[in-house]
Amino acid sequence: MLLAPIDWIIIVVYMVGCVVAGVWMRRYVRNVEDFAVAGREMDLNLGVASLAATEVGIVTVMYTAENGFKYGLAGATPGLLCCVMMLIVGITGFVIVPMRNAGVITIPELFEKRFGKQVRWLAGVVVILGGVLNMGIFLRLGGDFLMFVTGLDPTVKYHIELPGLSFNLGMLEAMMTGLLVVVLFYTVLGGMLSVLITDYLQFIVMGAGIVVTSVLVVWNVGWSNLIHGLWQAHTSGATLADTSIAGETTKIAMAHPFNPIRAFGWGWVTWQAMLSIAIVTTWQTTIARVLAARDASTAKAIYRRTSFYYVGRFGLPGIWGIGAFLYFWHQGGLPQGMGSLTAMPAFLHTILGPGLLGLMIAAMLAAEMSTDSGYLLTWATVIYNDIISPCVRKPLSPWAKLLTVRLLVLAIGLFLVFYGLWYQLPGAAWDYLAVTGNIYLASLFTLLVAGIYWRGANSWGAVAAIILGAVGPITFLVVNAIVDKADQISPEVAGWSAFGMAFAGMIVGSLVGQALGKGQPAAAKSSLPAKEQAP
Amino acid sequence: MIDTFFIAFWTVMVFASIAWYAYLLFHVGIKGSWDILRMIRALSGRPDGNQSPGPKEQ
Repeated sequence: MLLAPIDWIIIVVYMVGCVVAGVWMRRYVRNVEDFAVAGREMDLNLGVASLAATEVGIVTVMYTAENGFKYGLAGATPGLLCCVMMLIVGITGFVIVPMRNAGVITIPELFEKRFGKQVRWLAGVVVILGGVLNMGIFLRLGGDFLMFVTGLDPTVKYHIELPGLSFNLGMLEAMMTGLLVVVLFYTVLGGMLSVLITDYLQFIVMGAGIVVTSVLVVWNVGWSNLIHGLWQAHTSGATLADTSIAGETTKIAMAHPFNPIRAFGWGWVTWQAMLSIAIVTTWQTTIARVLAARDASTAKAIYRRTSFYYVGRFGLPGIWGIGAFLYFWHQGGLPQGMGSLTAMPAFLHTILGPGLLGLMIAAMLAAEMSTDSGYLLTWATVIYNDIISPCVRKPLSPWAKLLTVRLLVLAIGLFLVFYGLWYQLPGAAWDYLAVTGNIYLASLFTLLVAGIYWRGANSWGAVAAIILGAVGPITFLVVNAIVDKADQISPEVAGWSAFGMAFAGMIVGSLVGQALGKGQPAAAKSSLPAKEQAP
Repeated sequence: MIDTFFIAFWTVMVFASIAWYAYLLFHVGIKGSWDILRMIRALSGRPDGNQSPGPKEQ
């Protein structure tokens, strides 16, 4: 038995509590606005809990710990940059105030007011492409974490015999599918209202788990030992062999563990800064909390209050990853089949005792469920609101609208199970997430900023920015999937090229449109109304 | 040479994060429950005929 009875009790009580609370909120769902943005009744502290819970999933813990495993404390740099950008946006209201005041449900809906229906539809497609691909690895990484932290064997498979069908089902796949079914159950029924309530519970459980685990790791390793161990590993050129991919061994050396510029280089750090401002103003799951807030000042306060949370989002799992590196380094190397992503949960399994292991697993289940539910709901809402709705000639009844969004949540869940099972990460998890997110972040960030703050922007520029902004990251994904490691495109090159091409597309496209007297939809001759302008 | 500035900086960040997470756990934990009650009261008190409008159909 790998988990003690007390661990099972904690996990079961938490899971049942979440499902009951989520299903209970179904009674308050009357229309798509209730389902998608909780009737815009969310207040400050619930907003902080929901935003924090959604933006910390097992996938987050895995890739931030991987950053710590490879780059030491410098691996927390993206969290620091996100914190700074979030604070700036929370103080100034940059982008989020005009967006909240516009009264829209999704970002592409805002674009229709400024650039026309076609741009809204195209933006919706790009949002879904980047967002769903981005979410594609969540279940796989979540399953990896749960297998290694519980000490279960991820290679175990069960032979299933059904009438006319027989197949092998891996334990990891069964576990992640089961988890998704639970999330789908309450998300489909209660939408954002269920997500908010379960996010709140998950924020409590997850926060307790993260604090307790971080204190235990620091206690176990010793802060002074951690600092000196990192420096020694870096200066001695120590390497660990990552054998997580069958038939492939990758040597992992500790980069400069303290200085981000020496660890990553200026190109990567500046790209992360650009990406951070785009994430906090454009990432639909984050913006969903802005749009669900009671008013613009509540949205700004949520940003200010949540900003420092982002440092811990990278920094705390980062020290778990550092603890894992030092532990396995002193053990003489990583066990066969283990890699930079799975070392951290295996390390935690060695230091957490009964009760604490249950709390840790419940915390990570909480993190995973809140992220999955928030993302499923967000992408389903965008598909309905910006891709399907503009194409429907006859308005759907409220019942049909709700049914459509619920079916879309289910369809995305189904896609995730299959995509998550076969996709093999080409590199670091964070780089994959950043690049897939970049597919839409670069272009939509450009559209948002230009649409709100530049009167000269028009639909020609918008279309050019969307297409060119998506080309860089898609090229990265395709090329890196087919070429050798030595020839792969670096993530910062793919990321910067996306932003550069989107900016250039917007400026050149708008100027060409203006020169030809085209590109400005009749309904949007001026920029947003006065109350929707920048603060 | 070991970089003392960055070590001091990251040390402050990590321990401040642990403290901030612990503080938010209690602060948001308590006040968030009040927000939930207020939201539920607002949603319950909304008459059927006075629902917030759904998204505009295209």
